[in-house]
Amino acid sequence: MFVIYLTVNNSTRINLESSVTYTETELVHGLLARDEKLFSYIYDLYSPALFGVISKVLNDNAAANDVLQEVFLKIWRNADTYNEQKGRLFTWMLNVARNTAIDLLRSKSFKQEQKTIYNTDDLHALKETTPVLPINDQLGFSQVLERLTKEQRQLIDLAYYKGCTQEEIARIMDVPLGTVKTRMRNAIQQLRTIINSTNL
Amino acid sequence: MNSQDFISSGIIELYMAGVASEQQVRELNAAIAQFPEVAAEVEAYRRSMEAYVNMQSINPSADVKNRIFSNLNNTPNLQQVLSETDNDLQPTKVVYMQSSKRPTWKWIASIAAVLLLGSLLLNFVFFNRYKEFKGYKDKYESLLLSQNSILSKSNLYKTRLEQMQESMNVIQDPKVFKVSMPGTKAFPTALATVFWNKESQQVYLKVNNLPEPKADQQYQLWAIVDGKPVDMGVFEMGDTVNLLQKMKVTGKAQMFAVTLEKKGGAASPTMEQMYVAGKIPG
Repeated sequence: MFVIYLTVNNSTRINLESSVTYTETELVHGLLARDEKLFSYIYDLYSPALFGVISKVLNDNAAANDVLQEVFLKIWRNADTYNEQKGRLFTWMLNVARNTAIDLLRSKSFKQEQKTIYNTDDLHALKETTPVLPINDQLGFSQVLERLTKEQRQLIDLAYYKGCTQEEIARIMDVPLGTVKTRMRNAIQQLRTIINSTNL
Repeated sequence: MNSQDFISSGIIELYMAGVASEQQVRELNAAIAQFPEVAAEVEAYRRSMEAYVNMQSINPSADVKNRIFSNLNNTPNLQQVLSETDNDLQPTKVVYMQSSKRPTWKWIASIAAVLLLGSLLLNFVFFNRYKEFKGYKDKYESLLLSQNSILSKSNLYKTRLEQMQESMNVIQDPKVFKVSMPGTKAFPTALATVFWNKESQQVYLKVNNLPEPKADQQYQLWAIVDGKPVDMGVFEMGDTVNLLQKMKVTGKAQMFAVTLEKKGGAASPTMEQMYVAGKIPG
């Protein structure tokens, strides 16, 4: 069903860094066989995206490094729980990374640590986070951001990267719950439109 | 709800943002399974979200990869991976405690049992010894007591023997005169004897029969020298009557006599209280 997952941008990257490329099926089989050479390839291929998500969730470089390590060890050790029928390998890995990072973000100990560092209230700390621009912007992230309103960027950040519920977002942005739903839907649709038209 | 209605419901967008409710996720999964066009729409949204994520890629530091690969086959358990960052040493520690706990208790129990047994044995031995010792101690104490009484008796006998010896020596000396003093008319049964060494001029007295005086009275020996009484000293009664009593010295005397006087003696004899008297023969 999902035979090959190598989007245009990813295959470009792979060709830059490595002469060998693998199909999605080969990657999955290599992971299930605990092939370290293939796992090394998977790491090189996906770790920047996963590290980007984790960093954006946590806003803490040291913690992000620890979580990235934890995430790849989880992927290695729990490869059996990956179900090819339910989605691509990257989708699964991205979920593992995002969930692990958000779990840590929402854990008491992490909140306590961040509070002592920044001395700010939970929800307002989330609101104030400014988007971290990737060091390497060759993928056109800044172009995408330009075409999203500030409010749309904030909605996506709170929901996708901070794991907030609709109710929490309504409280943080001080708008009714119904408004959050409508605006969220528009933001995601807008994002899809921009990505499709960016010709990546 | 047909596929188009579902697509326009907004559930897919909320799901993509990660804010769909559990109920909405169930509806979405049902719709994906039922309608291929819903599945395609979901996949299209997913790819755009993932592209958005990819745009924000950041290269992690190189040592993270090294750390991951050196840990790949270290701890196979997910639970340990999760707690790894916080408690690096704990798993090993726990295992060590558990594996060492049992033998330690076994050792302690067996050592305690051996010590208890040893203690009981020693208790028995020492109690028996104590009983034995106590018997010996009692015997020793009674022996010590009887030895002491024997010793004191023996000392008494020794003293008495020495005194007798001394008396014997006085009596046996050929230079000693024996002067017998029979009772006077007032005290006819009274009798005493004087032994006088003319060379050393020492006078000894032996009471043969004199009644015990009152507590405030004492017998006194007199020597009659040229018709005048001379004090020869007072003497004790009681047990000492069995012995020769050393009196004062005199170079001359024609007669000896004993009177009863007040305790300590008198300057001149009370003639009415003269019990015995005897002339020196020759």
